[in-house]
Amino acid sequence: MSGLTRYIARRVAFALLLVIIVSSAALVLARLAPGDFAASSVGLEARPETIEQTRARLGLNKSIGAQYRDWLASAIRLDFGRSLQYDRPVTELIPERAANTAILSVTALLLATVVGVPLGTIAGSRGRGILPDAIRAVSLVLLSMPPLLTSLFLVFVAARTGWFPIAGMRSAAPVDGGATLDLLHHLVVPSLAIGLPLAAMLERLQAQAVSETIGQPFIVAAIARGVPRSRVLWRDAFKASLRSVAAVYGLVIGTLLSGSFAVEIITAWPGLGSLMLDALRARDVFLVAGCAGTGAVFLGIGTLASDLALAALDPRAREA
Amino acid sequence: MTLDVEPWLAESWSADADGRRFTIKLRQGVTFSDGHPFTADDVVFTFRAAYDERTASALHDSMLVAGKPLDVAAVDPHTLTLTFPSAFAPGVRILDNLPIFPKHKLEPMLQAGTLAKAWGLSTPPAEIVGLGPFVLKEYAPGQRIVLDRNPRYWRKAADGGALPYLDRLTLEVIRDQNAELLRLTSGQIDFTYTEVPPESYASVKRAAADGIVRLFDLGVSMDPDSFWFNLKPGAFDGDPRAAWLQKDELRRAISMAVDRRRFSDTVFFGAGEPVYLPVTPANKKWYPSDLAPIAHDPAGAKALLASIGLTDRNGDGTLEDAHGQPVRFTLITQAGRPRLERGAAVVKDELAKIGIAMDVATLDPAAVIDAFFVKKKYEAVYFHAAFSDTDPATTPDFWFSSGGQHFWNMSQPKPATDWEKQIDELMARQIATPDERERKRLFAEVLRVFSAHQPVIYFAAPRVYVAVASRVTNVTPAVYVTPVLWDPDTIAIRH
Amino acid sequence: MKLGVAIVVIAAFAAIAAPVLAPYAPDRKFGGLLNAPPTVPHLRDDDGGWHRPFIYRWRLVDQLEQLYVEDRSARFQLVWFTQGHFVLSSNEGAAPLLLAGTDSFGRDVFSRLLFGARTSLGIAIVAALGALLLGASVGGIAGYSGGGVDETLMRVTDFVMVLPAMYVALALRSVLPLVLSPSTVFALLTIIFAILGAPFVARGVRAIVRTERRLDYAAAAEALGASGPRLLFVHLLPAARGFLAVEMTMLIPAFVVAEATLSYIGLGFSDPIASWGTMLRDAASVRVFADFPWLLSPAIAMFMVVLGLNLALQRAPEAMRYGRPNRGVESIR
Repeated sequence: MSGLTRYIARRVAFALLLVIIVSSAALVLARLAPGDFAASSVGLEARPETIEQTRARLGLNKSIGAQYRDWLASAIRLDFGRSLQYDRPVTELIPERAANTAILSVTALLLATVVGVPLGTIAGSRGRGILPDAIRAVSLVLLSMPPLLTSLFLVFVAARTGWFPIAGMRSAAPVDGGATLDLLHHLVVPSLAIGLPLAAMLERLQAQAVSETIGQPFIVAAIARGVPRSRVLWRDAFKASLRSVAAVYGLVIGTLLSGSFAVEIITAWPGLGSLMLDALRARDVFLVAGCAGTGAVFLGIGTLASDLALAALDPRAREA
Repeated sequence: MTLDVEPWLAESWSADADGRRFTIKLRQGVTFSDGHPFTADDVVFTFRAAYDERTASALHDSMLVAGKPLDVAAVDPHTLTLTFPSAFAPGVRILDNLPIFPKHKLEPMLQAGTLAKAWGLSTPPAEIVGLGPFVLKEYAPGQRIVLDRNPRYWRKAADGGALPYLDRLTLEVIRDQNAELLRLTSGQIDFTYTEVPPESYASVKRAAADGIVRLFDLGVSMDPDSFWFNLKPGAFDGDPRAAWLQKDELRRAISMAVDRRRFSDTVFFGAGEPVYLPVTPANKKWYPSDLAPIAHDPAGAKALLASIGLTDRNGDGTLEDAHGQPVRFTLITQAGRPRLERGAAVVKDELAKIGIAMDVATLDPAAVIDAFFVKKKYEAVYFHAAFSDTDPATTPDFWFSSGGQHFWNMSQPKPATDWEKQIDELMARQIATPDERERKRLFAEVLRVFSAHQPVIYFAAPRVYVAVASRVTNVTPAVYVTPVLWDPDTIAIRH
Repeated sequence: MKLGVAIVVIAAFAAIAAPVLAPYAPDRKFGGLLNAPPTVPHLRDDDGGWHRPFIYRWRLVDQLEQLYVEDRSARFQLVWFTQGHFVLSSNEGAAPLLLAGTDSFGRDVFSRLLFGARTSLGIAIVAALGALLLGASVGGIAGYSGGGVDETLMRVTDFVMVLPAMYVALALRSVLPLVLSPSTVFALLTIIFAILGAPFVARGVRAIVRTERRLDYAAAAEALGASGPRLLFVHLLPAARGFLAVEMTMLIPAFVVAEATLSYIGLGFSDPIASWGTMLRDAASVRVFADFPWLLSPAIAMFMVVLGLNLALQRAPEAMRYGRPNRGVESIR
């Protein structure tokens, strides 16, 4: 096996370990939180005996240790339990919602990268001027707005103008143009809500990195040699400056999942973020564990991709 | 909405001489949504299911009278007898709580003891069979419920046409109130499941002016938010405040100290009415018209507290007891519900004016229920609990000291205080007496005792506003748990 | 840069001098003035006459819709340096001075902005510094050492990142007493945020230190006898200064907002403590954009602070760079 394959294998193994650890931690934490699914779901009309019977039926009356052992035993067989709220296997509920979040996240990330990184390069390469100052101002505005307010604002604008649907992932009735176009139409508001602040973050990081890179000797040398300035910027400086963005990109991917729940809730996007939040509120312990584990998967993929990109970008820093 | 009982699946009924036995004639020709005929056996089966110990149904307690089950028997396929264990004035009203289940689908599960799991969220929709105007078409977990019209629905319109008029009803899960409102005011949804809160009134009014929705003002609501202390004897053993924390005087002083007008102005922006009891003027039949409201009297409140030894001994603005223990307690309430959070904030301010220091802890809903309902470890709670019906006889769990919803001290083996004993006796008579005027008089007496001891303190109830999209016709919004959907049969859409 | 420093200094001053600069206590509620618009100081009246700064009072037109109309019949002059405050209205009862309007409880938004700066900026800045310190140390050591140490440290940061913060917070809430003193909440939030922010910082710093490690100047310093820690802290980490500065300007608003999210489960501040996070959460309603835009002032304030920090920190990394040639190129057009 080559060094790279070994490296990837090691990372995958670790990622699996992380999924188990995080799911376990989430399960235990959800059990520790006050209240449980039985009491809050059956409601105030129930007698204590009813609550106890519901608990027994759902397996919530076991001690945390016993419940964890049982869960782990079935998890190894890839059975992650049944959701208490929805009475379906966790493995049935998560993939569809995770896919929805993935669609949203990828779109938002693409948007953020395509907008943020070039703008950051421009802003970082010019120092003073109207354009870089304007870019910086817009980025800072976006960074200062909480995601809740940004999404609320976008939904408000969409409602007022009627240009875009303000909720959901697809229309209830068939729409002309086809399903894909309908999906894209629905994607606009939520992906802007996530993507714009993300673009601002990438822009700021890239601007900083570029302004440092252009002071370096190899850039000065290239300009002195007569290489066209735009080529120097967009080919040499750009590549060298990507390391900061690449470094956090992985974490961004990994946390898009949990950071997007505000947006998912306001735009009613049926994704993993809102599933996690509902599960937490309802103390749906198995679903909580499943969602946390899925988050770990996202993060594992993200950080691996990020580390590989870093190595590719800067051969000087590659592992032996 | 009259809140009176009307014939539905039961076409007519008659009581025998002592009012304990009813003979009920069921409507003929009614079938379940799968075509199976509806008979008295289904009613008997439903009662058996409700009372079944293995099933542990939440319906169980609401179908008991004085703690005992009813006796139901089928005489013939369309007649049954209902015998009450003791006199029960509301009579067949008790059946309002009971949805009728199909024996032909669920009997095997009841026999096997698995009825509690029988129709769950993962049951195929076609399996779930009922008698109502709609049937379940689709359930997407956490997203939506789709209901299609039941072609076999027994009810017909006044002109003989088939009901319901709607072909499909989609209930979407919208977690955020702002999102729900935006969708309503831009015409993307037809109505909201619950009322329009006062803080959103202006947006909806604008939409009404633009012709997108129709706005209904239905008067004051039925269920105010409840503020109560943990009155379980011994709950504060070892706590230096035990001597006064559960005293009547403290609660009465709190009730006097809060300016209910100011409460309504702040929490509901003026769209609210002061209330003092679990029953509001919306409950026309049972609200006592001769009630003397509790006047806003901070000086009187202070005097009342001084009478149990709570005065400001060191001039720091907070009252202390004889041992120097400050009058300070913690109120828990539910996060994410503006009515409760705002209400708690107003009460905190008002109490600070008379020297009571109240700390407010907002917790997420499961934690609140756990604290007061399960663990019963709390000092005071501010919460919203709704009654299922207006007739107090059908909500005995709240009024009786032995009840499971007697929130301040649940399921007492025998009444812990004299006044609770008094209420128990009055309510028992109220339930058994057939004479309506006497029942009202007895209940007014119950409320008088309740008011004198304030086990639960009420401040204000909001006005109920309901908005319905203008394309929807034949709606009769009412002050009820489901303001619009309580009467779904005749709802229609204008094209 | 000077502009940036000026903004930051003004913000700090405003926060520190809040009791004097703010007309009212942050929890003072004006009944009958819920969601009232700002009382704008005027110098000219309707007839064109000049006066000392004055305000008009608000007259409530519709209580349920919170509609107000300016009552131009009377002018209320502003009074300066009285009763321990910088500026007040001459008639507090009839016409309170509401420079940024009121919120849904009738509390003066401007006063809450100033007092809230103490809480929110305090937590955000301390937590950001903590995150930077923790993250830079972890990332620096990882990037410098490479190999097993690097992998271990990075996996630990992965774990911190992926653990859902809300679950931890909820569990934490349940083991803490119901009523927490503001200082406890302050300390708790600062620590939580510092830990949550550190991984982003760590990864970025690690990437930077790894590349710098192999550059000529580092090899030269090593050859000259610089020990490991000295090499790391004096030579390599300063290369990450720029990244750290940008991270700081991103962490601060994120922490202010996170504080509001945690207050939902009870790990937050309540009256009388004001905080920008809770102000923004209270502002998140359908009506805020169309009807009550002044409720968004904490976002504007945050923008100003972040802008100031960004401007102030921008040139700093260029000022000192040990052992590297000064910039010959300021910009590429």
